[in-house]
Amino acid sequence: MPPRRINDSYMDVDSDESDVSILDDDAGPRKSKGKGKAIDRGRDKGKSKVKEQPYAWEASYVRSWDTVQEDERGSLQGAVQDLIARGRRKRLLAPAAAIRRTIIRHLIILLDLSSSMMDRDMRPTRFDLTLQYTREFITEWFDQNPLGQIGIVGMRSGIGERIGEMSGNPQEVLKSISERHKLEPNGEPSLQNAIEMARSSMSHLPTHSSREIIAIFGSLTTCDPGNIHDTLDECVKDRIRISMVALAAEMKICREICDKTGGQFSVALNEGHFKDILFELIPPPAQRAVPRASGPGINPAADLMVMGFPTRLPVTSPPALCVCHSELKSEGFLCPRCSAKICDVPTDCDICGLMIVSSPHLARSYHHLFPVKPYQPVMTMEGVAYPASACHGCAVPFREIATPAGSLATDGMSPLGRYRCPECSNDFCGDCDVFVHDVVHCCPGCGK
Amino acid sequence: MPSVQPPTEDSASSVEGTSHALLAFLQSQSQNTLTRLYQKPSSCLSIFRLLGPLERQLVMNLLWLESAIPAPTMAAWVTSEGKKAYEIALSVLSRLHVLPQYTVKLALNVTFKTSLRQAITGGGTSGSFGAPAEKDGKHPTPSIETLDTYALERWETILHYMVSSGTGRNPTKPSQGVLYLLQRSGLMANAHGPSLQITSSGFQFLLHNPHAQLWELLLQYLRMAEERQMDLVEVLSFLFMLSTMELGRDYSVEHLSPTQTAMLEDLRDYGIIWQRKPSSKRFSPTRLATTLTSSSPPLPTSSGSGADGQRQGFIILETNYRLYAYTDNPLQTAVLNLFVTLKSRFPNLVVGAITRDSVKKALANGITADQIISYLTTHAHPQMRKNVPRTHRTKQKPLLPVTVQDQIRLWELEKNRVKSQEGYLYTAFASQADYEYVLNYAKQLDVVLWESSAKRCFFGSLEGHPNIRGFIERRAAGKS
Amino acid sequence: MDKASHLSVILDLSPTQWQLSAQSNVSHPLTLSTFVSHLLAFLNAHMACKDDNSLAVFGALPGKSVMLYSTTTPMDEKAVAADANTYRPFKILDTTITQTILDQIESISDNDVEAPIDIVGALTKSLCYINRVTNPANSRSEDATLLPDPRILIVSVSPDQSSSYISVMNSIFSAQKLKVTIDVCKLHVADSVFLQQAAHLTGGSYISIERPDALLQFLMMSFLPPPSIRQLISVPTQDKIDFRAACFCHKNIVDIGFVCSVCLSIFCQPVPVCSTCQTKFPMKTLLRLKAAHPHTPPPGTPPLRSGTPANSLPRSTSIAPGGTPRQVSNGNPNMLPVARSNTSATR
Repeated sequence: MPPRRINDSYMDVDSDESDVSILDDDAGPRKSKGKGKAIDRGRDKGKSKVKEQPYAWEASYVRSWDTVQEDERGSLQGAVQDLIARGRRKRLLAPAAAIRRTIIRHLIILLDLSSSMMDRDMRPTRFDLTLQYTREFITEWFDQNPLGQIGIVGMRSGIGERIGEMSGNPQEVLKSISERHKLEPNGEPSLQNAIEMARSSMSHLPTHSSREIIAIFGSLTTCDPGNIHDTLDECVKDRIRISMVALAAEMKICREICDKTGGQFSVALNEGHFKDILFELIPPPAQRAVPRASGPGINPAADLMVMGFPTRLPVTSPPALCVCHSELKSEGFLCPRCSAKICDVPTDCDICGLMIVSSPHLARSYHHLFPVKPYQPVMTMEGVAYPASACHGCAVPFREIATPAGSLATDGMSPLGRYRCPECSNDFCGDCDVFVHDVVHCCPGCGK
Repeated sequence: MPSVQPPTEDSASSVEGTSHALLAFLQSQSQNTLTRLYQKPSSCLSIFRLLGPLERQLVMNLLWLESAIPAPTMAAWVTSEGKKAYEIALSVLSRLHVLPQYTVKLALNVTFKTSLRQAITGGGTSGSFGAPAEKDGKHPTPSIETLDTYALERWETILHYMVSSGTGRNPTKPSQGVLYLLQRSGLMANAHGPSLQITSSGFQFLLHNPHAQLWELLLQYLRMAEERQMDLVEVLSFLFMLSTMELGRDYSVEHLSPTQTAMLEDLRDYGIIWQRKPSSKRFSPTRLATTLTSSSPPLPTSSGSGADGQRQGFIILETNYRLYAYTDNPLQTAVLNLFVTLKSRFPNLVVGAITRDSVKKALANGITADQIISYLTTHAHPQMRKNVPRTHRTKQKPLLPVTVQDQIRLWELEKNRVKSQEGYLYTAFASQADYEYVLNYAKQLDVVLWESSAKRCFFGSLEGHPNIRGFIERRAAGKS
Repeated sequence: MDKASHLSVILDLSPTQWQLSAQSNVSHPLTLSTFVSHLLAFLNAHMACKDDNSLAVFGALPGKSVMLYSTTTPMDEKAVAADANTYRPFKILDTTITQTILDQIESISDNDVEAPIDIVGALTKSLCYINRVTNPANSRSEDATLLPDPRILIVSVSPDQSSSYISVMNSIFSAQKLKVTIDVCKLHVADSVFLQQAAHLTGGSYISIERPDALLQFLMMSFLPPPSIRQLISVPTQDKIDFRAACFCHKNIVDIGFVCSVCLSIFCQPVPVCSTCQTKFPMKTLLRLKAAHPHTPPPGTPPLRSGTPANSLPRSTSIAPGGTPRQVSNGNPNMLPVARSNTSATR
């Protein structure tokens, strides 16, 4: 569905710029209705349309069907194209240069397991929905951050509860939350206890990795043993980024925690929105400018690591003992340095200590580094001696006549449905344009 | 927009099972017939397409081998989950005599192998893909639209005739040959007087998808061909040849055998081929012919109901039993009329409701509840299909409202509520003892259907009657 | 289960490699024309399986890639003479592919012959094409289950180009997303690391064919069955999979690399500044790594790994990454000023 897609790119764009404050100016005027909260809200980076309005009950009701308009023949095609165009424009605004992103991520998910999670305002219950989305989140997160690790902490009966240890294996993480009856919500949540627990489990991490906490918080209270602001200061010092998804309403302390640690705070409006804002947190955050850098331009977090790329043995190979479990197995991976046999990657070789990763794991993140240059919409066919008759990607023939709709042109839409690669000057259709930039990350014409 | 043709021919064709109706017919033929049939590359290609996916793969694995391979070698290729399917595939192939003696060594029937190879690589002199006609300046080749309209008109005439035969209206009669075929196949019968009446299997026929309908008629035609002393191989290879021909092209009749020339007339009546005039030296296959062995829809879009409407279905069924059919096709309306109470008609919309009476009427005609449901599912409007994948929680949400589906099934069960059985009522026993004595005897024979000791009577089944009667007579004789 | 399948074939049409392949001194010579005739039989068999199966053929040529044939593009029907002995769609397919291959090979100029084969272009094009045909929005049918099952077969005769590493990997991941199986048929040349990974990651099969006389049988048995059938019929899978990567600096294929912790760029030797994200690495690490790996291969000579990795590891004995550098003197002292100047240059 086109509208969803646009939403997604909306979010992508914004998360790319989460460190840049240009959006503040742009979001500011709209907040005039914000009743003294406007300044505070200016920081929320205009994340989604929802927060442009201060309170849901103050906003006039927007009918979703009013936003699309039929053309004179009663067709919605024009409206849909317009939506696509706006999505395109958003994407074009995204910086083409490589952004520095943290790629080795460490994340603790805080799950609210207080009794408020049994509310049924989200179907079937907040708790069930949270579990379901968390599972999907973990799968998708590991897909995009293959070298990351996730741990899970629950907030129940006033204490923090370690549910899953930090692990780089999605199966292990998923297993820890697979048994619903062990996670049955109960009592009050304690944000402080849980954050302290998460903080302590991340304290030993190397400097070049990110430390993040994502809290899914359904309660309107937190039951803390001490001053939560102290904890917050510690987190800022440890450079832990805390993001929260509130299921009930906004709490000042939550907002403050997220703002101070550089995370995102959002309140889920409904089931779909919950998923959207949770999944927004998946792409690796851009590297934050380090205020106390040891030298100009030198990032203390950066380091050069030695990594080995193993050979995978098939199931048919002769069985041999693995170094990790000392079990006789036929399949496995061979350390390229010492030829030790290892059951699973990524891992550190037990014999020579080499970090072993399979190269596809690394390669998954490369499209963040080398984005395809945005294609330019072709406005006119004049001056081109032999225009290509079909899309260079999918070979769909181009339409001959330009659509007269003038409004499209301003939104970065080509009236001819042609988009040209600035590198190789080949023309592509709109579908391929989106597909190449969103999925393939490699131009069919120039291979860049 | 150019895109691959979606195999719209619905789930119904896959519901039928993997095996095609024609395969069963072929399997019943003698080895000799089949071997003669396999001499034509076009026949081999068509039969190959009718096979299931695993069977096709097996044939392809063996096709390019010169020598037979031991059965265990081939079986080693099959994974443990595939064992059962593999066994079934082998037996199907062997019954078609494509793969004789599959227990020890696997090798394709030599004739089949040669012909299929020839079909794939081309060449040879069989001419089995139809000899194209010479260009003729006077009469240009009919356009695809002409052919589609022609095929549709012929086909709908047949169906329309069937639908309205009971209603007393007089639609255009199809030709005599078609009528004979309909009668022979038991789809219509002249029960009351000279005019043909649709039978219950005819009603069922109407709810099938066009592809199945076409094959049902053709199979009937094949059976008739045997009786008419036509050479079955000739008939079959002509049908297969038609199925490999290209839409919108002329083919010459010159290379056809006498049997096949005779068939032209029949096929013209069914709308499978087009000829300018009966004596013409050329013919063009219609879409009905070229899609015989494919899963693309055999019928072009219905007259005037728009390109997408017909192909994708047109029925919206609501939970309140109301039914909206976006169609202006009289045939579709007539078919709907079989089980829907139609309320209003608009230029492109028919509104009706599924009621107890309408379904009862359909059931009385011999249509089953499952057929109604499958017809509705097949022709459901895309808007109804759209709702299905969106529900991600329940994996398989049915297309039709569950309430309606269940109710249709319940109405069918209702019909089965009263079961009639013939029998005899035994009454007016002289005394309670007499009654019980006879009743006991009847119970031992297990023929009592109903009893009432208060009324001193019981009902026994038909088959028990001679015994009971004899028993009473003997007892009466003994008493007196 | 029995639904239509779409096959995209990518042909590696490298003139040099085919020339080598046809030479009679090779143990099993295979000319391009023999190969094409086998391939056509295979493609016809694919089309024969189901009427609505679709096909697209892409050619990877030196420096460019072209679509040779697809079932959806309207062809000039008149060009193909009618023939009573051949199924017409096969005839059209055969004629078109043969003709386009000839045209393309004719059009290669002498200067282009040595240009790298554009496998990536062909691969991304086929993905775009599959994206088009399997996109429900483009199809008439709303029902996603009726769309064809897509897969890609790459017939490769050229060795890997390490320069295209990132593009190939990106294509593989998008194939995974589209649920496209990539099969690889490798002729003659040594195994391709990237294509092995492609087949492995997408669940396809990688088959290296040494005896071209059995080519057709290989094609039929291994690459004809659509993915749905492969659960029933086992298709040969590859044995060893090499997970090596190409470094960003010299495009060498490496098995041990130096990785930037910020952007994960791979280098074949310790570098002071990441060329991708301009991150400067601590001098300490650099010295340590250089000490530990004194035998870093010079650029241009990719470290080769033979079949058995155990006996082909010319590694130094000092393999204690965290330990103190033992052979500091082995490290190139000249590198330090260079590193500094680099630093200032990028500032």
